[in-house]
Amino acid sequence: MDRLATAWAIFQGLLLEAIPFLLLGVTIAGLARWLVPQGAWIGRLPRHPLLAPITGALMGFALPACECGNVPVARRLLASGAPLGTAFGFLFAAPVLNPIVLASTWAAFPDQSWLLIARPLGAFLIALLLSALLVQLPEGQLIESSLLAERRLSQPLSSIGLLERGVGQIGSQISAPDPSRIERPQLSEVLEQSSREFLDLLALLVLGCVIASLVQSWLPRSWLLAVGSAPTLSIVALMLLAIVVSVCSSVDAFLALGFAAQVTPGALLAFLLLGPVVDLKLAGLFTVLLRPKAIGITAIVACLGVLLIGQWVNLWQL
Amino acid sequence: MMRALLLQLWGWMVVWSVHSGRLDLLLAGGFHKLVSASGVALLIAGVMVGLKSRKRKESVSWPWLASAGMAVLVLVVPPQPSFSDLAASRPQGLLEPPDLAFVLPPQQRTLTDWVRLLRSQPDPDLVDGNPVNISGFVLKRGDQPAQIARLTVRCCLADATPAGLPVSWPLDAKPKVNQWLKIEGQMKVETRQGQRVAVVVPETITPIQRPKRPLEP
Repeated sequence: MDRLATAWAIFQGLLLEAIPFLLLGVTIAGLARWLVPQGAWIGRLPRHPLLAPITGALMGFALPACECGNVPVARRLLASGAPLGTAFGFLFAAPVLNPIVLASTWAAFPDQSWLLIARPLGAFLIALLLSALLVQLPEGQLIESSLLAERRLSQPLSSIGLLERGVGQIGSQISAPDPSRIERPQLSEVLEQSSREFLDLLALLVLGCVIASLVQSWLPRSWLLAVGSAPTLSIVALMLLAIVVSVCSSVDAFLALGFAAQVTPGALLAFLLLGPVVDLKLAGLFTVLLRPKAIGITAIVACLGVLLIGQWVNLWQL
Repeated sequence: MMRALLLQLWGWMVVWSVHSGRLDLLLAGGFHKLVSASGVALLIAGVMVGLKSRKRKESVSWPWLASAGMAVLVLVVPPQPSFSDLAASRPQGLLEPPDLAFVLPPQQRTLTDWVRLLRSQPDPDLVDGNPVNISGFVLKRGDQPAQIARLTVRCCLADATPAGLPVSWPLDAKPKVNQWLKIEGQMKVETRQGQRVAVVVPETITPIQRPKRPLEP
């Protein structure tokens, strides 16, 4: 009974800590839609396979929020027809490449300069890797169906395959939308859409927090840290810990500081890299963006990429 | 209209959590203002959405209702975590000590100040005989003797990390797990499992209520 009561308290802690960031993300996404009408700037984003994710990753500096807040912004990017690479670069790198997270990493590890470089660099590489792989999938297999339908409305017909359009005639002339004719949505419209989006994401956040709190309460953390000195096992253990603990990326460096001395440097970096991309709290939120297959690919590739980076770091540092 | 009510419910849940002092038990202090602001923002958003959609009927999805059910549960069932249960499965670990901890006279050091000091300055003889005035909960890990401990938190209970001190309990003392105690006494050096360690030797042990802010940074 004690354990259930503790899980309930952890659930409330996780939820109350995440709600402000989710609200911030939805608000920024809504404001972006209102202030910068769809198409006015999306069309200028680079579509180059390398430049697109780099641009997305660097956009993280404009949104100092953790991973929960990034999901609604990435969703808005995808719905507005932004290049896939930009949206994925933002989604996967921005939780680390933002001023608050970089400052907290520096505050937690001021004497480990290698970590201050390795964390953003690693997050950047993982984001590039995931973006490069995910964009290989057809959009229909990649993006969640209602989001895909919304995205189709924002894309010029010329960029959509005939079978994917759902409307139009064979042989009819295709023209790109005229940016000057795109009107700013009314504030009430933005409020309605943002409130729906917030409630949708909140329901998934609740689910993620329930799972994370239950797993945390029944999986002793000391088991995961018991393998601290074994190079590969320690990385795997800390990756599992990052998935289970599900804390916000803006404070995870302080949590890592608590066990930094007991684990290998590669494992420490793995913890700081994987949590912002894959964790139990995020599992539900990602379903508003990606189809299950794409979520599976994201989780597996992120884990493999982080494991590899962790191994390299251990080879270099140990 | 239903959307407005749901936003109001969530806003009320957040504001109530702040007002009732629950946040002190769940989150690090740095987040409190942010959480309060989000609760107020949700209440305002609820009013705005309500004014815009007063006469409109709208469909409500079951995930919204299910999550609203959780919000009601949060309002009705307050958190009652077992600190000992939480701490027992987690290894001890502490952040770097604030400089202040070292210059504080011994009797003003909190439990976490003591743990930080002993970790950064592992020679126990340096603190032998120092007066101790600390409070914490009784933590029991497996077969080990009960300690007096605190939880340190940077984010929320999810990252809570225990900081504990060994205690040389008097023979007549029967510390109950999770019980909060105030201990006044001295720091003494004992040999436990072949190692010399600093141990709290109580002179008075007073049961106390859980403090209003039980988590430490």
